Amino acid sequence: MALTLTCPVCGKRNGYEFRYGGEDKGPKPDDFGSSPETWCDYVHMNRCVAGIQKEWWCHRDGCGVWFTTHRDTLKNLEME
Amino acid sequence: MSRLQNQPTLRVDTNKPLSFTYKKKTFSGFKGDTVASALFSGGIRIFSRSLKYHRPRGLYSLDGECSNTGMEVNGIPNVNAEKTLLEKGMQVKAQNVKGSPELDAMGFMDSLDRAMPAGFYYRTMHKPARIWPIALQQVRKAAGLGKISPDFRMTGEFDEIFPTTDVCVIGGGPSGMTAAIAAAETGLRVILLEARPWLGGFFDYRQSEFSRDLPHYQRARELEARMQTLPNIRVFTHTAMVGAYSNNLVTAFQIGNEKDPFDERYLEIRAQSMIVATGCIERPLLFENNERPGVMQIACAHRLANTYGILPGKRAVFSVAHDLGIEAALDLFDAGIEIAAVADIRDNPSHAALVSELEQREIPYLKGWVAREALGAPLKSVSLTTLQGTFEKKLECDLLVASAGMTPVTGPLSMAQAELAFDQHTGFFLPKSLPVGVYAAGRLLGLNDSRAIEASGQVAGLSAALNCGKASAQALKDAQEMLAGRPQAERGCNLVMAPVKGRKAFICFDEDTTVKNIKQAIDMGFDATELIKRFTAAGTGPGQSGIPGHNLPLLVAQHHTDHGALTRPTTMRAPLVPTLMATYAGTNHLMSKRTPMHERQKQDGGVMRKIGVWNRARYFSDDFSCRREIENIRNNVGMLDATTLGKFRIFGPDALKALQRVYVGDMAKISPGKIKYSAMCNEDGCIIDDGVVVQRGENDYYFTTSTARAGITVEWIRYHTRYDGWDFNLVNLTDAFGVINLAGPKAREVLSEVIDADISNAAFPFAAYQEFTALDTIPVRIMRLGFVGELSYELHVPGSWMETLWDALSEAGKPFGIANFGLETQNVLRMEKGHLIIGSESEQRTTLHDVGLGGLWDRNKPAVDTVGAVALQQTENQEKRLKLVGFKMKNTRTPPKDGSIVVDDRIRGHVCIARYSHTLQEAVGMALVEDPLHAVGTEISIYEDECQGQLVSATVVPMPFYDPKGERLRS
Amino acid sequence: MFDRHKPLWGKPPALKQSYDAVIIGGGLHGLATAYFLARHQGMQNIAVIEKKYIGFGGAGRNTAIVRANQRTQQNVPLYKEALDLWPVLTKELDYNLMFFNCGNLNLLHSEAAMSAARMNIASAQFQGVESHLIDAKTCKEMMPALNIAEDITYPIFGAMFHPPGGIVRHDAVVWGLAKGAAKYGCHIHQHTEVTGINVENGKIVSVDTDQGKINTPRVLLTAGGYSAALSYHMLGIKLPISVLNIQAMVTQPLKPLLNHVISSGAYHAYANQTLKGEIATGAHMDAWPNYTTQTTAYYIRHQAQAITEMLPCLKGVKFMRHWSGLADMTPDMAPIMDGNHPIEGYYMNCGWGYFGFKSCTATGKYMAQFMATDECPEILKPFHLGRYAEHRLMGETAALVTYSPDN
Repeated sequence: MALTLTCPVCGKRNGYEFRYGGEDKGPKPDDFGSSPETWCDYVHMNRCVAGIQKEWWCHRDGCGVWFTTHRDTLKNLEME
Repeated sequence: MSRLQNQPTLRVDTNKPLSFTYKKKTFSGFKGDTVASALFSGGIRIFSRSLKYHRPRGLYSLDGECSNTGMEVNGIPNVNAEKTLLEKGMQVKAQNVKGSPELDAMGFMDSLDRAMPAGFYYRTMHKPARIWPIALQQVRKAAGLGKISPDFRMTGEFDEIFPTTDVCVIGGGPSGMTAAIAAAETGLRVILLEARPWLGGFFDYRQSEFSRDLPHYQRARELEARMQTLPNIRVFTHTAMVGAYSNNLVTAFQIGNEKDPFDERYLEIRAQSMIVATGCIERPLLFENNERPGVMQIACAHRLANTYGILPGKRAVFSVAHDLGIEAALDLFDAGIEIAAVADIRDNPSHAALVSELEQREIPYLKGWVAREALGAPLKSVSLTTLQGTFEKKLECDLLVASAGMTPVTGPLSMAQAELAFDQHTGFFLPKSLPVGVYAAGRLLGLNDSRAIEASGQVAGLSAALNCGKASAQALKDAQEMLAGRPQAERGCNLVMAPVKGRKAFICFDEDTTVKNIKQAIDMGFDATELIKRFTAAGTGPGQSGIPGHNLPLLVAQHHTDHGALTRPTTMRAPLVPTLMATYAGTNHLMSKRTPMHERQKQDGGVMRKIGVWNRARYFSDDFSCRREIENIRNNVGMLDATTLGKFRIFGPDALKALQRVYVGDMAKISPGKIKYSAMCNEDGCIIDDGVVVQRGENDYYFTTSTARAGITVEWIRYHTRYDGWDFNLVNLTDAFGVINLAGPKAREVLSEVIDADISNAAFPFAAYQEFTALDTIPVRIMRLGFVGELSYELHVPGSWMETLWDALSEAGKPFGIANFGLETQNVLRMEKGHLIIGSESEQRTTLHDVGLGGLWDRNKPAVDTVGAVALQQTENQEKRLKLVGFKMKNTRTPPKDGSIVVDDRIRGHVCIARYSHTLQEAVGMALVEDPLHAVGTEISIYEDECQGQLVSATVVPMPFYDPKGERLRS
Repeated sequence: MFDRHKPLWGKPPALKQSYDAVIIGGGLHGLATAYFLARHQGMQNIAVIEKKYIGFGGAGRNTAIVRANQRTQQNVPLYKEALDLWPVLTKELDYNLMFFNCGNLNLLHSEAAMSAARMNIASAQFQGVESHLIDAKTCKEMMPALNIAEDITYPIFGAMFHPPGGIVRHDAVVWGLAKGAAKYGCHIHQHTEVTGINVENGKIVSVDTDQGKINTPRVLLTAGGYSAALSYHMLGIKLPISVLNIQAMVTQPLKPLLNHVISSGAYHAYANQTLKGEIATGAHMDAWPNYTTQTTAYYIRHQAQAITEMLPCLKGVKFMRHWSGLADMTPDMAPIMDGNHPIEGYYMNCGWGYFGFKSCTATGKYMAQFMATDECPEILKPFHLGRYAEHRLMGETAALVTYSPDN
């Protein structure tokens, strides 16, 4: 496969220039530290969506920006 | 053997002979020959022996669809002789033979087929259990085709290019060339890939008419000439496409030539549109002994004569299912071969014109007949039968041209995720839906009419151009109408098998899989084609499924109880053509970073090691205990090249907030002119980095990280502030600055030689930070640190000045006995001081508390804001965790080896580092042990590898071992 | 001897309305659990539900390496037992699983790596598993094709040599276990998709499939790479898993060249020679989740570069086939095996990453015991899901976890 991603700064680039940063879970929840379970849910647990998911990427070998995008995990293609 | 000279389609230059060696004899061929055509011309008929049954194998397809002509060439195994151009002096050997291919001592294997039904190895050789280890060694020896020497070294040039283009056309036959021309005429950049050394595809070798007075091969030359007038087409011949990936990434490899001298070149092409015009191969006809040397496909016989000028036999029988077979029979007859009969399996054949030409030549034409069995080795006769098996006749011949029709080359399409569906009319798997930007053209769509083939190329070329935003919809519409006006896809045969049991009818040559084997697998409950492929190994050999390709799913479907739905080809996988690792590897590069002092460190006797991305000096002598280096630091002074440390500037209004987020300490408490030591944790509270931070101005900080974290720190800080929108700038200065660690009791005296300022202990004490000018010129940032436990200075200097400053210090240090020290010395010194190295004394399971650095965490900072703070809070009082401790060996001066484990009735921890300390005159170390074994005074038992149960004892002691009050580093 | 060819795992059975246990996933772990349940635990009214065909997923895509030189004492006994079970199962199933006990050489490329490996070796030896640290010269003697020169990216210092390991024919394991399970009454339903799991009053009651509903008090989710998505989709239970594509490839078949499995952490590559003679090599994954099982041009190149530095003669050998499978990676590189939590009758066995093949026999044995008795066997207890919230990662990887699945 040949993933491409659209960096908000550098435009559409080869996927291997980027680092995956996980599912987008939003900022830490208010009860983040209230129990080990809520902490664990935010830090370790994933939904593992088989389909389109919103996720974080860093343009590691480019400008370095972190951004979110939508990608279809069944096709490994970024949504237009 | 002499060649036919009058063929206008010849691709060999008979004025240029080339000699080569085979079976210790000298053979000769001509420039343009392949190894296989030259050997065939030299009288060789058996090229190899098959994998399992050691059956003789010869030329069959001429396009490398099976391992029949896999040979060893110049020490390289499994070289496909059909596709490898002959070169002068080649050393060619046959594979998988004991003796010679003609007289193979293992030939008796062929009679053992009843003992080896499908998957027989799963059901044998395991009873009794002790025979299996012996049997498996025999299996290993028998398996495998080629041989490679462990000492083989590839020579030659391996190139790589990564072009981007608008349209990539795969296949340089008539439809591919037409498509390329159509797309290029709209102004787009086009790349065309052709696997053979020349363009033309199915047109190249045919003398039949494309149109009045224009033979097919001439038409191919016309198209080629037209392409040459379009400079925006880049043509790569002798370039096999091997992979298609999403977003139209295409990979291929090219064979070099005289004009472009390299051995092989890897191509990775990113295209906007991709056109697959790969045409067809022939569908193997299934009958008994269908792979006997002397049996070959239509194009193989045809091209031997027309391309290479070699007559493939003297007397031939044809058993075909396609007009191209009749065309070949006519050509070969005209070239001088006697044709005993042309059997045609179709009940609705063909152009009447072709049949009448057979009649003109008095060649018997047997409609509805098919080859049943090839007899004799070498081939002596063939038995033909009607489809129902009711009549039979035997004809003598030394050549049987056998083919069940055409099979589309769909590998590139299916790799590109196109959906294929079986089509009853053509008997083909045709593209049902194509991904965006992927188009198909030519014979693989089932077309046979030459002008329809070209018209389909025109349509594909314009569609591809439209996808790139060029070409008009009208032009495309016109092309589509033109195509619609030509004859449509022809009716083809789907699965062709003579009425036989198939005991010796091979569906896969590479793996010696017979039709009978497939039936056995189905009987055993294997239903999906993929499972049958795995169970019988059909299609898993070097021919990349070329022979079983579409026959396998069709045969499975035919023998299965319910199953139209299952009729689909097996998954095609890259590389579609076997590709040398040398080609994929390209030019190997040694990947390493070097510091400005690299050469000097080597000259000074540094034993260099690859550590992370860097090359660094680990020792400065081959005394790996480093005693002299260590003692010199404790007593005099030494220098370490610490350039690899991560170095960063962070500045801007929110710089402090960002530091607060990632460091466990309170970064608001950094004093001017002082360094602050702190650590970073991950969300698990696990320590991932430690380093120092200094403030150089308002909202402007400089900080260091460990070597391992240098590459990731910017990313890390930006990740953990990604929702905040804070305003700060972060610059990685790791490669911009060199770092010298000047350490030892005499360090101050050395430093004062190069710096004209007051650096007395009072003016520049421990933990101070100051910026100086060395040698009146060089800006240098100095931190007073104590990682090795002595008075020491960390000098950060612009990389370009590093060598100058280093030399000055070396010179100034001479009277004080200055010497280099390496990483191992630093490792021992810091251990004596109880300082940890992350990853050595910590691991994934250990938190900041566990390694004894909990004190660095400032709990009064807003907890949820600091990465790892929640975990630090929740684990603070947990029991049964691993804890970092110091230990001293009992009754021995020998330290346990690093990585030894701490045990009682079970494993309780492990030794991270242990050394005999020359400074302390005893063996000490650091270990991670399970709570409560960490209490000072506990006796622990250490189990070393290979200790045969002999444990050694140690006592947990407080750290640091050396200078517990820290007087030396403060002095 | 071979005149009759009976279906190995029986004729396709009709789906019953109820089973004592339903196993979701016809891969190695599902089939192994079914086999041990049916044959050794006496629970024979059970079904394995497989969406595609048995062995479609990781079971047929791994490179068949087995070993028991893991890092922690929780893992070693499990893998050791799994290793010991290959000959036992070959006999019990009367099916040749073709265990090639060639031993594994895990190459080490620095002094630090040698020390780290010594911990695995000492742990192995302490627990009765053979493993030794050997130097580069010995490696070269054992494997003449190895390049121990210093001018490569990661020069070889030595290796962890683990004689009990080797390779097993993975397809044979799938078919053998299916044969064994079916013989003792288990129904194997291929081409059947589970669409829902139904819970009432905190207990499992039934499973919906595209072929009908099945009443059952017990469900085992062991669907490899698809487990986490199914768990969240059907029950809302999130797992600490990232599903990555791991790739492997084989060369054309050669006469014997490699007599051991070799692997290298620094090069991210391993290689072994199958009994058919192909050099199987792989290990790399794209560091972002996807379910495509598509390969990449990027990694076949990487693999060629890495493997030919270690084994330079392979430059003259051709790659023939490249494929990919799913690896369900957990943060601590250790699996999740749990049951009756948080739902009674709901069992899970997932998160194996790329270790699922080597462990399947022992896991099947103990998961079967767990399901049959409702009592978690001691050996499985450390693998419970709760360890992540308790801040007690297993330590199977020494590497520090950062925010993304590949660290």
